[in-house]
Amino acid sequence: MIELLAQTGLNALYAAAYMSLVAVGLVLIFGVMGVINFAHGELFMMGAYTVVALYTDFQMPYVLVVGLAVMFVGALGIFMEWSMFRPLRDNPLGGLVASIGFLMILQAAVSMGFGVRMEHVPPVTQEVIEFSDRVRLPVQRLVVILAAVVLLAALWAFLKKTRFGWALRASAQDREAAALQGISIRQTAQIAMFIGAGLAGVAGALTAPLISVNPHMGHSVIIAAFIVIIVGGIGSLEGAVIAAVIYAFVHTFVTTFYDGVVADIVGLSLMLLVLVVKPTGLFGTADRA
Amino acid sequence: MIAKFFQKGVSRRKFLGTTASAAGLGLVGSTLPKRAFAADKTVKVGFLAPLTGPVAAWGKPGLDGCEIWAEWVNDAGGLEIGGETYAVEFVGYDNEYDPAKARAGATKLIREDGVKFIMMLGGDTWAGVERVADQTGMLFSTLLPSDLGPETTTLIAPAEVHPVYNVTGVEWMAEQHPDLKTAVICAQDDALGLPSVATYLAAFEAAGIEMQQEPLLFDPATTDFAPVVTKLISDNPDIVCLDTCYADYVHPIVEQLFQQGYEGQIISCTADFYDQMVEKTSKEFMEGFIFQFPDFDDPELNKDFINFKDPNKFFEVYNERHPGEWGAVSWEYASIMDLWAAAAQKAGSVEPDAVLEAMTADGSGKHAFGDADWWGEDLFGIDHALVGNWPVVRIEDGKARIMAYKSIPEWYDKHGELLKKHMADFGQMWNQRG
Repeated sequence: MIELLAQTGLNALYAAAYMSLVAVGLVLIFGVMGVINFAHGELFMMGAYTVVALYTDFQMPYVLVVGLAVMFVGALGIFMEWSMFRPLRDNPLGGLVASIGFLMILQAAVSMGFGVRMEHVPPVTQEVIEFSDRVRLPVQRLVVILAAVVLLAALWAFLKKTRFGWALRASAQDREAAALQGISIRQTAQIAMFIGAGLAGVAGALTAPLISVNPHMGHSVIIAAFIVIIVGGIGSLEGAVIAAVIYAFVHTFVTTFYDGVVADIVGLSLMLLVLVVKPTGLFGTADRA
Repeated sequence: MIAKFFQKGVSRRKFLGTTASAAGLGLVGSTLPKRAFAADKTVKVGFLAPLTGPVAAWGKPGLDGCEIWAEWVNDAGGLEIGGETYAVEFVGYDNEYDPAKARAGATKLIREDGVKFIMMLGGDTWAGVERVADQTGMLFSTLLPSDLGPETTTLIAPAEVHPVYNVTGVEWMAEQHPDLKTAVICAQDDALGLPSVATYLAAFEAAGIEMQQEPLLFDPATTDFAPVVTKLISDNPDIVCLDTCYADYVHPIVEQLFQQGYEGQIISCTADFYDQMVEKTSKEFMEGFIFQFPDFDDPELNKDFINFKDPNKFFEVYNERHPGEWGAVSWEYASIMDLWAAAAQKAGSVEPDAVLEAMTADGSGKHAFGDADWWGEDLFGIDHALVGNWPVVRIEDGKARIMAYKSIPEWYDKHGELLKKHMADFGQMWNQRG
């Protein structure tokens, strides 16, 4: 039983890691721009397809490809800000609707370019850390966990210690007041989109060798990410990380000890419970929520 | 135009290649000779299956196989039916494994395209089409006889008897490995997964293999299978059964079994693109993996009782055109067309009722894996499933090989009550499905 608990804990850590990256990116975009980016799951998918194109097809070094995925998906985020969210800034639902359209465009583009079927990504490493016969952590999963910790720590330092980070936080708290202080709303929006999209992209790129890569892979990710940010409190980065950990552990343990269908029900019930008890989420504030 | 392009599921190589050569073809296209058809009429056949989405692996490769079938038939001058010569044209419609889209597709194929026969994957999508079949009398085929019922009088299951043929793999495994005594099973919670779970449970019980856990059902939206696998192997089972999981699930589950150190027997309905699983794990890990769908370059398919025309050549041509995409259904829809063509020629008509009558009149038919009988009233409420022998396939040294052909009716004669009991437990008997 101890081995089963330990292995399940390791599985949950991995799930929490990639879910944190996706959810924090989604929260950052919402916090700074006030846009619910429905295409966020497809940005995750684009990160995975960058790996398919450059690592699988062109056999470029995996580490380099992950870096390129961040840049490429981050650039897609800037494009979205420039082409959709900025022109629709004054339309409360415009950005949301535009992002739904954009996710369909991304899915169609990938389907036409790569085909509709699952893509094969060769393993980067088959090394496994064996704690015992029944407690094992594949190195690729460890890489995802470590990368999430490093990237989220770097993001925290960026937001707390740098001028750009202060500008982002100021824009998230009060856009007009930030503008009166000389902060460029356009620039902070672009930085937020680059970082938010880049985090989704790096999550997709890091997990691509571990999951089924297909044009529709963003669906389940975005649903889980929405649950996470609602539980954590929409607009709260700390809440997103903690909620991702809670959701991942609950979902993983319920899947292991009951089954996956029950786990989904429990995950949604968790969200409903939080909404009933604390409608702003665990770390949300009333004005942002 | 874009929708049509999308429906056809353009591969990356095709997309890039087509783009690169488009200009050149444009220049010389007008000078190319037109292809001549001996046929003076065209009969259209609908292909209503998932061409995109997670179930596309059981639709799109079938359409690709049908295009080869049609090319061979048309190049040979077409089909002689009722004194006239027909070319065969397939009209594809992507139902995305969605019942509502399947209904829209069936209506469009019948009313706008004028098809005379519609092939489907079935499962969840049949529910959307059933009323259209009732109203129009169109002849439909499904790969999943669990769609059949006494009222589905224009639906046939002539290619595979999913999931009943899965009993042959378990029976053969138990004969070869009597030391395997315990099993676990996982499946996605849907119309493909549940009847297959019931079938495997019956087969294991018939073989004296004990189930260690209740079947582990997971949401079709699952992406991380580590928790599923951790639970499956927590009691050290001799056998892990992957049921009729989609390829998108089989691959990550097998990879997880490898990474979590499982060393026992794996059995599955399908192992599409198994070469990729070998690459993600190892030849040694995949050695002995049992499933039900052969590669068609297998020498065992050249035996006299095999009715599929030139399977080795079909496999070769398919792989030339769609490298790395051979899967469980690549040949199945084409084999249905063999039956349909023979029945249409016998009936002297392409009309659905005449073809169905000719196809089932004498109670037997030429299934791809040998002569078989129209069967199923006991289990499905109607004798519209063509059932005979089915191959058991095992991976040996990284390559799928047919180990044996086993008789499904013989197994059913001995253990049919068990199968009905488990089907009823999962609400999968024809009179339980809503």
